Amino acid sequence: MNALRDPRQAQAFRFLRCDYADGVAELAYAFDDGAELVERIRFPDAPALTAERHAAFAAALRLLHLIAGVSYYKAGVPATITVAGWTPDAASADLLDTLYLHGLAEFAYRNGLDLRGRVHFPRTATTDAPMPALELPRRVLVPIGGGKDSLVAVEALKAIGADATAVWIGTSPLIAACAARSGLPTLNIAREIAPGLFELNRRGAWNGHIPVTAINSAILVCAAILHGFDAIAFANERSASSATLEYDGQQVNHQWSKGWTFERALADHVRRHVAADLDYCSLLRPYSELAVTRAFARCGTAYFDAFSSCNRNFRILGPKPADRWCGQCPKCHFVFLALAPFLPKPRLLAIFGRNLLDDDTQAAGFDALLEYRDHKPFECVGEGAEARAAMTTLAARPEWREDALIARFRREILPQLDATRLALGPWLAPAGAHGVPPRLAAALAWIGEA
Amino acid sequence: MTNASALPAAAPWIVLKFGGTSVSTPQRWATIRALAASRRAEGARVLLVVSALSGVTDALKALCGLADVGARAAAAADIAARHRDLLRALGLDRLPALDAHLAELAALATAAEHDYAWQAAVQSMGELLSSTLGAAALSAQGLATAWLDARSCLLATPLPNQNERTRRLSASVECNADTALAARLAACGEVLITQGFIARDQAGRTVLLGRGGSDTSAAYFGALLAAARVEIWTDVAGMFSANPRQVPDARLLTRLDYEEAQEIATTGAKVLHPRSLSPLRDPRVPLLIKDTQRPELDGTVIGPEAASDAPSVKAISARKGITLIAMESVGMWQQVGFLADVFALFKQHGLSVDLIGSAETNVTVSLDPSENLLDSDAIAALAADLARVCRVKVIAPCAAVTLVGRGMRAMLHRLSTVLAEFGQVKVHLISQSSNNLNLTFVVDEATVDALLPRLHDLLLRAGALRAGDRALFGPSWQALYGAATAAPPPPWWREPAARARLLAIAAEATPRYVYHLPTLRERARALQALTAVDRWYYAIKANPHPALLAALAAEGFGLECVSPGELAAAERAAPQAARLFTPNFAPRADYAAALAADVPVTLDALHPLLHWGELFRDRELILRLDLGRGLGHHEKVRTGGAGSKFGLPVSDLDLFLRRAEALGARVTGLHAHLGSGILDPRHWAQVCGELASLADRIGTVAFLDVGGGLGVPAAEGEPALDLAALDAALLEVKRAYPHYALWMEPGRYLVAEAGVLLARVTQIKHKEGVAYLGADAGMNSLIRPALYDARHAIVNLTRPDDRADTLYQVVGPICESGDVLGSDRRLPAAAEGDVLLIADAGAYGASMASHYNLRKPAAETVLS
Repeated sequence: MNALRDPRQAQAFRFLRCDYADGVAELAYAFDDGAELVERIRFPDAPALTAERHAAFAAALRLLHLIAGVSYYKAGVPATITVAGWTPDAASADLLDTLYLHGLAEFAYRNGLDLRGRVHFPRTATTDAPMPALELPRRVLVPIGGGKDSLVAVEALKAIGADATAVWIGTSPLIAACAARSGLPTLNIAREIAPGLFELNRRGAWNGHIPVTAINSAILVCAAILHGFDAIAFANERSASSATLEYDGQQVNHQWSKGWTFERALADHVRRHVAADLDYCSLLRPYSELAVTRAFARCGTAYFDAFSSCNRNFRILGPKPADRWCGQCPKCHFVFLALAPFLPKPRLLAIFGRNLLDDDTQAAGFDALLEYRDHKPFECVGEGAEARAAMTTLAARPEWREDALIARFRREILPQLDATRLALGPWLAPAGAHGVPPRLAAALAWIGEA
Repeated sequence: MTNASALPAAAPWIVLKFGGTSVSTPQRWATIRALAASRRAEGARVLLVVSALSGVTDALKALCGLADVGARAAAAADIAARHRDLLRALGLDRLPALDAHLAELAALATAAEHDYAWQAAVQSMGELLSSTLGAAALSAQGLATAWLDARSCLLATPLPNQNERTRRLSASVECNADTALAARLAACGEVLITQGFIARDQAGRTVLLGRGGSDTSAAYFGALLAAARVEIWTDVAGMFSANPRQVPDARLLTRLDYEEAQEIATTGAKVLHPRSLSPLRDPRVPLLIKDTQRPELDGTVIGPEAASDAPSVKAISARKGITLIAMESVGMWQQVGFLADVFALFKQHGLSVDLIGSAETNVTVSLDPSENLLDSDAIAALAADLARVCRVKVIAPCAAVTLVGRGMRAMLHRLSTVLAEFGQVKVHLISQSSNNLNLTFVVDEATVDALLPRLHDLLLRAGALRAGDRALFGPSWQALYGAATAAPPPPWWREPAARARLLAIAAEATPRYVYHLPTLRERARALQALTAVDRWYYAIKANPHPALLAALAAEGFGLECVSPGELAAAERAAPQAARLFTPNFAPRADYAAALAADVPVTLDALHPLLHWGELFRDRELILRLDLGRGLGHHEKVRTGGAGSKFGLPVSDLDLFLRRAEALGARVTGLHAHLGSGILDPRHWAQVCGELASLADRIGTVAFLDVGGGLGVPAAEGEPALDLAALDAALLEVKRAYPHYALWMEPGRYLVAEAGVLLARVTQIKHKEGVAYLGADAGMNSLIRPALYDARHAIVNLTRPDDRADTLYQVVGPICESGDVLGSDRRLPAAAEGDVLLIADAGAYGASMASHYNLRKPAAETVLS
């Protein structure tokens, strides 16, 4: 076995093996004949696998192996992909080709690469036989991230009396604090990225954004089989499906793996290739960001001094608002703006500890949200039109209208906008397709209540 | 025996008040007995005012809110059990008076009527029960104590704006000295116990005095009896110069006048309810706050104004959650009735105005926080109404920072550094009342947690808060109640042998820097013992003396350099030590030279990549970021924020990375250094967390360099930086980001305390009451006092045992008014030729020295 080299010179990316024992899954990869890169996923207090779930778990683990490989593959994006010991069927290979292409689109854009026609998973000509139902217990795994979206999903499941468990991956005092506030049972899964990846990065590997929601989804599919859950309810909303920009004829969506296309593809795949009675869905799918923030303003009181959607202060927990909200990043800007129409102003300001809309230095950040003079930033934020609707609403509110950035919006930006497309109301109604199974439909409806 | 001799009729009264925790255990009742007996032994009559057992008032309130009669009966039974338990613990078995009160509580709990009168009756039971227990307990312990029903003495005065609820639950009593009452009580006994919190109305029914009620009761009794004093016994020694949770260095206030105390109680301190002072003001009854657990501590005495005191800021406080309403209108303010109409709108929306600032076209008012404000639409509705008559802006969240002290306007000239600090933040409103007791600044709330300790420190340094005046100020909260940190050992030069050695060195020539290598090694080893930090660099700008560099290199430190000169000095003194190049606005050639010598280079601007890109092609780079704020003990040592020239703003990060990528250069390290003299051990963990989250977006980063700035205490006895807490905070971040190595690069921390500056007294001058002590060392040797207002301890080494009774300005020989080494220093009376030691001078002393006035700066000597 050779030492680590610059993966950009590699000919092939190799899926070597995946194993599971005693609550730990090991996923091994390599570039050419280079050193093994081993990622480990630890499922705490995992029960012993029953015989009837063996086949389903093996399938889930293989799926996880292939999906989690995207973190490593991207370090070199070699021309060839090989899978040792088995061959995915055509449907699986299609899913993976699509995921790698679209999930890495922003990465490719940032690095000046073009992955079209480059990602080819090996495939059989046949289609695997469908997997049977396992009579999984009627329990929901609800992944939480410490932000408003997943907390709305949590509260919706609580409201309909569902048997739900809050799950998260990795250590985060912030998420743990929100999980504790939820009052739900919890499951905390640990993920250890292969240390060799950091070494590759130092040696000049390609680096950038990866479709982490796809990886987390695959981990939760394994967890659902292992611990016995028949549904995984994510909290990805409608705008996650829209592209952040178009580049050289290709749509680039920062949050592609949170989008409807991927949700539907993975849900179909899981039902056919893992367990016929395991549902994978997003409870927020038909809702806009604004509809979700309205729901959070209504049901999130218990989390106001604990939650954060900020990516910069993400893993550090502190008692002060400034510990949880950096106030500088697009996430802070958007959540502040989107909550503002639905909360009393003093309450909102107490959550953030400051008024981002009365701060001239934040003008460029809010301009980006409004898609004014700039394209959308590469972060998980709502559509520009939503931001404009929220801003227009505030511009008409006496307690907001004189704040620096709102006064500027009224003066400079509002006159240039199409006045017929600035209403808040249309954003609050559900629209579009979703994959929520009938037994959770009441939770879906609860989120949309005024 | 305490009651041995009867008191004369004219014996004064002392009122002692004890809160809930002070009456909840037998041990605490023993303390009350001892205190009451000692006041009796002073020749005073004693009136004890007690609160309910801790938690009982809350339990009674909760009982009032229970809808179910069974639940109320159960709650009453729980409360009864609690009192019977304490009765047994006090060694008493039956107490008919207690049984009677408990029966009354049981009856109230099941009563049908649930009006405010009923609530008052229920909530009054806590004090009736505790005082009944107390009378029995004290009498059983040999101190005959008579039980007094407070309702027989305190008659509530109806006020015009009261409603039924406030009349019953938040009543007030008008109190004038009542000699007949005093005589009646004197006839009851020499030691009496009564209830806080309760009074009667005109119809003889029970009413409550509202929040802080027991303190207020004690004050009412103090006024009625024209007492010698009122003593409030609580869990802290008194009022402090700031909230100790925000400012551990806050000083105990040993003497305040009523108005000052009222102001402090109103603007932040929770020790005493502000209502409890006004009854005592006219009869001039002093109030004393004492710590029940530590009665030996001085406490705070509040009394009439003492004309003799020089003015001093007494306290600084911050109230958060303030909302400002700014109203703009051209010319309408002068119209008759316009302001009255505007304020009527505030009243209509249930909002009460606190501070007011006005200009020709603007009136800005502040609203105190309340749940009503936070969670209702009151602000939105108010703004909508106001918008009809003026332009309105809601500014929040704000905090009101208030300086309190009599004669505030006479102190303005001393507040220049304090006011400069306000220049760093946005001030929305300034308010100063005509009683000249306070000065309030309304600022953004987000700034206040960091601002308050700095302001307190600046007030101390500026001498505006005259903490050295023992008549007004006591020890710091940290010293009284802080975690028992081992006092730092005395400095090395206190050792008699070291002193003799220093005097011998001074006899050769002064001024002279002397460096003590054992102290240097001690600091170095203490840092190396931290487990969180993977690599240490010494910032050699602090002191590039070759012996120090060699010693630190031997302790495993790399050397952080900022110029070609420093790189060369490091190479000469310690060729084996790793070097790091961290310049700022350096010319291109400097970078080229460092790269040619294979020294890792830190960039902190776009310019080098944009204009000298080829220099950095395929190189590994360290990037210094500006995280958008600065910290430190003086404006000139802060190195973050827009006002500082250091660091790449985070907003330029993407551009920097794209440019680096295009050149094949990789950012392997992120660096931030926010300032100097930082004593908060969590600071570096915060920087580390922020850098780590940015590093995750970059991908090529292997280490995070969180800089230095580790603070050194400004005076002997001050708490040192808690290295264990620093390590723990960093480890917590490392657990979240295990893939980054952690570097630090202290400078001053390692060398400051190892160095002293020796000088000899040249001349002494007295000028209009000011004594100047001339030294042969000046700002050309040690510029920190002039440049940073830095405080260095000064000692007369020739006279270690003489009383420090003379107040000196210690000055140097340089022709600058700023050539002052230390102001207002109390030292022994000195003579020409005495040797002065200026402490903690090992850092930024010799390295910043100059030949100004063509005077040679101090030479350097190393003690190994």
